[in-house]
Amino acid sequence: MSSDIVAQNKALIEEVLAVYPEKAAKKRAKHLNVYEEGKPDCGVKSNIKSLPGVMTIRGCAYAGAKGVVWGPIKDMVHVSHGPVGCGQYSWGTRRNYAGGKNGVDSWVGMQITSDFQEKDIVFGGDKKLDKMLDEINTLFPLSRGISIMSECPIGLIGDDIEAVAKKKGKECGKTIVPVRCEGFRGVSQSLGHHIANDMVRDWVLDKGKATHETGPYDVAIIGDYNIGGDAWSSRILLEEMGLRVVAQWSGDGTLAEMEKTPKVKLNLLHCYRSMNYISRHMEEKYGIPWVEYNFFGPSKIAASLREIASHFDDTIKEGAERVIAKYQPMVDAVIAKFKPRLDKKTVMLYVGGLRPRHTIGAYEDLGMEVVGVGYEFAHNDDYQRTAKDIKEGTLIYDDVSGFELEKFAEKIQPDLVGSGIKEKYIFQKMGIPFRQMHSWDYSGPYHGYDGFAIFARDMDMAINSPVWKMTKAPWNK
Amino acid sequence: MPQNADNILDHNELFNQPEYLALREAKRVFEDARPVAEVKNIEDWTKSWEYREMNFKREALTVNPAKACQPLGAVLCAAGFEGTLPYGHGSQGCIAYFRSHFNRHFKEPSSCVSDSMTEDAAVFGGLNNMVDGLANAYNLYKPKMIAVSTTCMAEVIGDDLDSFIKTAKTKGSIPEDFSVPFAHTPSFVGSHVTGYDNMMKGVLTHFWEGQERKEGAGINVMGGFDGYCVGNNREIKRMLGLMGVEYTLLSDPSDVFDTPANGEFQMFNGGTKLDDVKAALNAKATVSLQGYSTDKSCDYAAAKGQEVVKLHCPIGITATDKFLMEVSRITGKAIPAELELERGRLVDALADSQAYLHGKKFAVYGDPDMVYGLTAFLLEIGAEPTHLLCSSAPKGWEETMQALLDSSPFGKEAKLYPGKDLWHMRSLLATEPADFVFGNTHGKQLEQDTGVPLIRVGFPIFDRHHHHRYPIWGYQGSLNVLVKVLDKIFDELDRNSINGVSFEFVR
Amino acid sequence: MSSLRQIAFYGKGGIGKSTTSQNTLAALAEMGQKILIVGCDPKADSTRLILHAKAQDTVLSLAAEAGSVEDLEIEDVLKYGYRDIRCTESGGPEPGVGCAGRGVITAINFLEENGAYDGMDYVSYDVLGDVVCGGFAMPIRENKAQEIYIVMSGEMMAMYAANNISKGILKYANAGGVRLGGLVCNERQTDKELELAEALAKKLNTQLIHFVPRDNVVQHAELRRMTVLEYAPDSKQAEEYRQLARKIHANAGKGTIPTPITMDELEELLLEFGVMEQVDESIIGKAAA
Repeated sequence: MSSDIVAQNKALIEEVLAVYPEKAAKKRAKHLNVYEEGKPDCGVKSNIKSLPGVMTIRGCAYAGAKGVVWGPIKDMVHVSHGPVGCGQYSWGTRRNYAGGKNGVDSWVGMQITSDFQEKDIVFGGDKKLDKMLDEINTLFPLSRGISIMSECPIGLIGDDIEAVAKKKGKECGKTIVPVRCEGFRGVSQSLGHHIANDMVRDWVLDKGKATHETGPYDVAIIGDYNIGGDAWSSRILLEEMGLRVVAQWSGDGTLAEMEKTPKVKLNLLHCYRSMNYISRHMEEKYGIPWVEYNFFGPSKIAASLREIASHFDDTIKEGAERVIAKYQPMVDAVIAKFKPRLDKKTVMLYVGGLRPRHTIGAYEDLGMEVVGVGYEFAHNDDYQRTAKDIKEGTLIYDDVSGFELEKFAEKIQPDLVGSGIKEKYIFQKMGIPFRQMHSWDYSGPYHGYDGFAIFARDMDMAINSPVWKMTKAPWNK
Repeated sequence: MPQNADNILDHNELFNQPEYLALREAKRVFEDARPVAEVKNIEDWTKSWEYREMNFKREALTVNPAKACQPLGAVLCAAGFEGTLPYGHGSQGCIAYFRSHFNRHFKEPSSCVSDSMTEDAAVFGGLNNMVDGLANAYNLYKPKMIAVSTTCMAEVIGDDLDSFIKTAKTKGSIPEDFSVPFAHTPSFVGSHVTGYDNMMKGVLTHFWEGQERKEGAGINVMGGFDGYCVGNNREIKRMLGLMGVEYTLLSDPSDVFDTPANGEFQMFNGGTKLDDVKAALNAKATVSLQGYSTDKSCDYAAAKGQEVVKLHCPIGITATDKFLMEVSRITGKAIPAELELERGRLVDALADSQAYLHGKKFAVYGDPDMVYGLTAFLLEIGAEPTHLLCSSAPKGWEETMQALLDSSPFGKEAKLYPGKDLWHMRSLLATEPADFVFGNTHGKQLEQDTGVPLIRVGFPIFDRHHHHRYPIWGYQGSLNVLVKVLDKIFDELDRNSINGVSFEFVR
Repeated sequence: MSSLRQIAFYGKGGIGKSTTSQNTLAALAEMGQKILIVGCDPKADSTRLILHAKAQDTVLSLAAEAGSVEDLEIEDVLKYGYRDIRCTESGGPEPGVGCAGRGVITAINFLEENGAYDGMDYVSYDVLGDVVCGGFAMPIRENKAQEIYIVMSGEMMAMYAANNISKGILKYANAGGVRLGGLVCNERQTDKELELAEALAKKLNTQLIHFVPRDNVVQHAELRRMTVLEYAPDSKQAEEYRQLARKIHANAGKGTIPTPITMDELEELLLEFGVMEQVDESIIGKAAA
């Protein structure tokens, strides 16, 4: 049976590759594979330049640095430095929830840009940046700091944003962080994450400003962007088990929380892809261990709570057991309600760098089966981690193009596709139920036990909506 | 524990539960959060006249602009031609952003490729990307035409589309006779509106240049950058059809952004036929429904010998009258009784509702043509435009707008704010409130901060569904705008009187 | 419009490119040609000898003041000099900031859109240094300059630059109509300079269109911010420029697609003419004893 699937899917890959020009087919072949059990990774190349003209789903370094890592820090002003577009398109679309008054003590919901004009390109933009930082400090006096997120032109015209940041930081006494995340750098959002991590290291952590009292159970949530409130429905569990969550990186986060993090006892890393860099740095420099965890679905949540607790004493270990026991009845009821409606349903996933593997457990808790997995911007270590969670015959597609993903879904006919906004409407036209797995399709949270209930509800709602039965006119049947 | 299987709470309710309210309150310690009173003080100050004056003094900083960048417009324009794949030469992230922007507005797929230029291309130029990109796009998606625009990366390094495309053809990426119109669309010049214009001109140049014009009887119609193109274009076509006019709608994305869910994904659907674009050179005249959004394209048509009529969003009686009368004058076709009947019905509707509209104060922001069209409509219904703001105002917009305002006693109080942004608008509404504000989804923060109710007319509309399916132009479209306005007025009346005596059944 | 000749002078900085171009264009003006000079060098000195002054109002400096190029009027940036030669300078940023190449693109687009070329017989672009980026290649794109004249001398760096510029031309020659019109050698009185220039021209598949001898009258004229044609119209040097002008005028449509050579070939050529000495391999990488 399963070897049939392997052969079938391999044939499917060949069929898809046949449409490409030879040079492109050769390159794409390395990114597509069928998983065979026992292999240590998924057998695909990753983190390589996208082919021109194929409609990659990837974004850019700016999207990774501003959109993902820095943008959610709520008490800083994040400047999209360059022309107006980048900031405009990423304005309020990522659902990283944050408290505060918009434009007063929180700037997450704002599009703040230097709106470059031709003269700024020709004569350089440093003077404008200098003046702009003054204007920000005047109009937004409660901001704790400013990040300067470079758009493509900045790196091409030789602006020295580091010098401006240093000078203005000294003048105003606030943290001003230059981030060289021009969109042409790297091959995807991923390099933007890395650059953003490095800038936290150099311009925030190295300054060592925190003076707070520490405790034995201090932890930080790293790599949770609070999409639809994910970090809150995670934090609640950690606090209930007795941990003290000192910082959220970076969903609903603040500069002060980042500054406090080098004194925690353990870093809890959810999105490995986007924040492993800073976790490793804190391990090396401050001796803080880090642990990857997964708060999607009760099986993985329970395992993660226990894994986290294992780094602490019995108080916390007992706390973990108490939390698991507390939520078990609710979880059982959710599964009892939705599993019968979702059992054996198949899913194809194509998301960023974490969720295609991290959500597999949640789907399996509901009796569902993940039959295709791919990442926009994963690296080899992500595919190694993925191999542990997937089954024989799973179709693997790295940096999939629009064309490939449609063809795959057309043939495999999954019961659900989980991917992004650019894919959503394509699959719905095809009559395939779809959930956005970047933004939770305006729902969420999906993390934690509270989130799992919503996840189960949403998957059921997508798959079992009566609308899919109406795509064919009855007179054509 | 708030969650239970029988009544699953998502973020809308979950985070209002006591557990989560307490969690977020307790988190403030780690945030070094500002005291509540201090935040309130500053919030009040940001709504003061003092702040407004400081806010209007800024020179380098832009906050919440109501405009996007050139290539976005180029992509929308390109999508309106038959079988056309929009193609962005430059960074791939931009194209991902354009696509998601249109996805969120239209709730539809949006197809566009990029040639994914990276650091090496920044140094050596993007020729190789173009050569491979055209070949791959052509083979995978089998378009009838590929329309190339540029991201700012390619513009800064000075890549030359004309020679790159020719080289790609020489190298066999695509057939020699395959159409690849192009437009340089630097994002640091103008806005999405400019980019639309540049791409339109690029397409026309591709098909018209070097061809001989033989004037015919038909006309061209250009819609410009229009978030309502699905509804509007169908309405324009219906009206012209009723008149029996021979016309070509230049760029018509109404079908590609409204494909059926029938089990099949259609990457290309509808659009202006390429043969029609060619033949459009012979048109007697070009009528633009958004003159600012098609400025250079109109000049180009005029240079080819066509008469050009530039309108600015025909919303309302007068503007629709003008559109029909111009078409009638140019083509010699009479305006049919059906349209006159529709006109009469719209006047009737306005008469029914005028008491609720008269003297109401409206702030408006949006694209240059949209602000003009809505303002003209407001003057016509006896409402008073107040703050009129256009982040993407081109040269001459202010003067044209002033002339419009001067033409009506209802325009006396209005002030124009070209080149300003929504943070300026926030100051205006906080210090001198209007009764309503017309704008896109981004305006919901203005409503939240100043209490001035937002009427959603503009682009993008992300947080309401299907608005783009209904026209806002022509008599029927104006009726839709009227109903949007009235619904909001009545909702506000009800909301404000819910505990009083004026909470009535009949309005 | 169809008779409009668009030419460009390229060359290594300091080679005397602006001097040569202005003198030659002055000679063309003498012949009754209507000329527009577009200076594409941030130094903005491509029209100094024609205007008797450094152009103060460059397109970009005015645009920066006004806000954007759209706010400019063409009259603000077009100046008239010797024999009514129209002069304009793109201008550009200070060294080390911004993007001068983008400035060139901006300026040329503005001039073209606003009718600066109307009624002209010649448009001449005077371009800084190598074709270092797409911006400086702007004048050799299609519908711009059809003929490129490279100003060089017998020095190694000048020849190196000439070869690089040929590469830039070649890149655009196949897709568009740009051709190499020829080399103009400004005498530096190096050994076998004429022969070397001719040899390079041959290798590049072009001609040495003129060898301009060195003459102090050029410096005297420059001190007065004048061309030799105006300062000393009867001098021998003025006649040299007139010759060059006549040759260029007769050179329409005779340009070639250049065949740039490799670094090794260029070095060989220089060795052959003794401009470069054979390297003693045995001393490479040895520190002082």
